[in-house]
Amino acid sequence: MAATASLRSDRESPEARRRLAAFLAAASGARAVEIVGLALLEGGAIQQNWGIEADFAGGALAGVQLLVLRADAATGVPSSLSRLEEFAVLQSVFAAGVAVAEPLFSCADPDVFGGPFFVMRRLPGHAFGRIITRDPALDAALSEIAAQLGHELACIQTIFPPHRGLEFLPADSGPLARIVEFRTYLDRHPTPRPVLEWGMRWLETHLPEPLSSVLCHRDFRTGNYLLDGARLTGILDWEFAGWGDPDEDIGWFCCKGWRFARLDREAGGIAARDDFYRGYETGSGRRLDPDRIRFWEVFANVRWAIIALQQSDRVLIGGERSLSTAITARRATECEFELLLLLDPDGNPS
Amino acid sequence: MRDLPTGLDLLELGRRLLLDDIAPLLPEARQRDIHLIATSIAIVAREAANADAPLRKMGELLRQFYPPRPDPLPASGESEHEELLRRFALDLRRGAFETSGSRERAARAILWRLTILKLGEGNPQFLAANGVK
Repeated sequence: MAATASLRSDRESPEARRRLAAFLAAASGARAVEIVGLALLEGGAIQQNWGIEADFAGGALAGVQLLVLRADAATGVPSSLSRLEEFAVLQSVFAAGVAVAEPLFSCADPDVFGGPFFVMRRLPGHAFGRIITRDPALDAALSEIAAQLGHELACIQTIFPPHRGLEFLPADSGPLARIVEFRTYLDRHPTPRPVLEWGMRWLETHLPEPLSSVLCHRDFRTGNYLLDGARLTGILDWEFAGWGDPDEDIGWFCCKGWRFARLDREAGGIAARDDFYRGYETGSGRRLDPDRIRFWEVFANVRWAIIALQQSDRVLIGGERSLSTAITARRATECEFELLLLLDPDGNPS
Repeated sequence: MRDLPTGLDLLELGRRLLLDDIAPLLPEARQRDIHLIATSIAIVAREAANADAPLRKMGELLRQFYPPRPDPLPASGESEHEELLRRFALDLRRGAFETSGSRERAARAILWRLTILKLGEGNPQFLAANGVK
């Protein structure tokens, strides 16, 4: 609790504003920068996103600008990229034409804002999954939004290794190596998870033929894209990006855990799978294989469960005092239920 | 004998107070926090009402699944239920039941029961949304 509260108050202090203004001025070539507003934005379970309204006197950004600063929270999860690495990913996808906020500056000096961070333009819209999946005003537009998201995913996958600027991303180790990582994590976890073990055994014995690696977002889902009305304005949160299988993000997007209020809409709680698949197949020129998607959807449920347990570690071990983070651990059992539905659909005793 | 109303009754009254009377006074930005608190209270209430019944039920299922060993393992410090659950998880990892259709079916039935028991306390709405009463 102390670490979280202290980090936040340090970042809200007048001194932090002064340091940030000086950094922005130097980075943009402005004579001076006035921070008009600085507020922690909602969301961002692992990172902190700070909304900045800043007035630039001259330089590349002259005038009043709405920006977002992305920095580490007091505790994180192991698979997350550093902020400087995430900035490099954002630069690559922006250059490839993916709908993302324009990345502007990064800073490695921890003295400026209590840790490394980067700054991007602020896009209009919101990403609240519960609102997006419930808003009747969006209903008519959602199938087209799903197709656009499929198209954006295809655009992300035009980036593949080796790629200049992304040399730090480790080679794709394949799903089996990640299952080994999950098992290693569970071996240290105090509570055995038989359903996850069973799900991982299924994955291990149903590995698909590998495809060439592409850039995976690894958290491509409802809740991580911005809608301004019915307009898709940007894909958010690139902290888990890495080289991987082209179908991993598709399985994650369709995983039931990310359908929010509309479990019946299998593409992210917003549309039928066909809408999303259509956009992806048109953009990529690759026909999707339902068996591969099923594998990656099972994988998505295992991975989401592990992440949920890791989130609880931030509270139980890391000292984080967030109720939202703590309660996320309970979602692991929801993923286990979905694993049972996917792999043993006739076994449901109800 | 404790005084009435019970602690669980008080907890439920507090939860309703939070949702019905306090939440409307707070800005939209805090509504999610209120609902997280209310959800946590509801989990506590269900767990307290059930006491250790779900754990006992799971222990019972696992004891039926694993006949007693002729040579008991040395004590590990875990309860019998924890030991059986850990053994079950490791057997599933190894695919130990895959050569016997009946054992595999029985194992899957336990997985369903275990998961439904946990969600019954943690998120019964999720179960209902998935057609489980």
